[in-house]
Amino acid sequence: MKDRRTDEILSAHTEALFGHSEELWQVDLTDEEQDELGPLFTLAERLQHSLPPVQPPAAFAHSLGKELAGSARHQIAAARRLRRGVLIGAATVGSLVSIASVIGAIVYIISRLRARPPAQAN
Amino acid sequence: MSEESDSVLIARAKDDPEAFSLLYERYVKNIYSYIYYRTGNHHDAEDLVSRTFYRALKHFARYEDRGAPFSAYLYRIAHNMVANWHRDRSRRQVVPLDEMMLSSVKREQPSAVAEEKGEQEVLLGAVHHLPPDRQELLILKFVDQLSNAEIAKIMGRTEGAIKSLYHRTLLALRQDLVEETNGQAPNQEVKGE
Repeated sequence: MKDRRTDEILSAHTEALFGHSEELWQVDLTDEEQDELGPLFTLAERLQHSLPPVQPPAAFAHSLGKELAGSARHQIAAARRLRRGVLIGAATVGSLVSIASVIGAIVYIISRLRARPPAQAN
Repeated sequence: MSEESDSVLIARAKDDPEAFSLLYERYVKNIYSYIYYRTGNHHDAEDLVSRTFYRALKHFARYEDRGAPFSAYLYRIAHNMVANWHRDRSRRQVVPLDEMMLSSVKREQPSAVAEEKGEQEVLLGAVHHLPPDRQELLILKFVDQLSNAEIAKIMGRTEGAIKSLYHRTLLALRQDLVEETNGQAPNQEVKGE
């Protein structure tokens, strides 16, 4: 229980350092907590100061952005071509199946007609 | 910079290359900072940032927006890239502390710079003795300034677990700094948790 409260206090303190917390950092700490957590608050503040964000070199970021945009364009175009290919392929297969069905039906009818015994003359 | 939400850009990016560029612009700085602190040099950071975004693009068609921030997807890729990078090299990262610190303290007086540089060197040295997951937590929290909720999504843990890990990380770091001050070797803890 105490550990959980300590976890919460430390996290709230650090979130407040970056302005993530809506409420200001206002928690009533006991003397014991103050002794235990004071050095950790200081350490968190030192970390905040010692780990500044690092900017990527502008030329690198710009050049990578251009390369990615080109790759994205190619990828989207390739996906469109693939979709179109699949669509045309499916339509072709559908058409072939239809034609084959008609031919099959004609062949079947002809074979049935040929197999029928000739009509008897009276 | 576009005001559109990640979800809108993600939906657009499936058919519009411009939308992916906007996502790139939105996150390149954070991903660069994260990778830079994990590798310790600009050369490898540039290489891994390129690979991270190319991989994100390659698998983008299969990416499904399930409400998690797009940044979590990018950080997961970056995390795997850095893990592979460390495995390939089988060595601990060497951070160019001088270069890193000069950027943050260059505006100050020379005497103040020297004093602050010494303190930061010790602190950053201690950070780099931490297990990878604790380093990652500190970088996401302090460098990229993400909230506990965002860090939890990226690291695949609950928010409570992140708070607890943060507490233990600060305790371990303080312990290492005390030992450093007393002239002992920093405590080598278990790798990951």
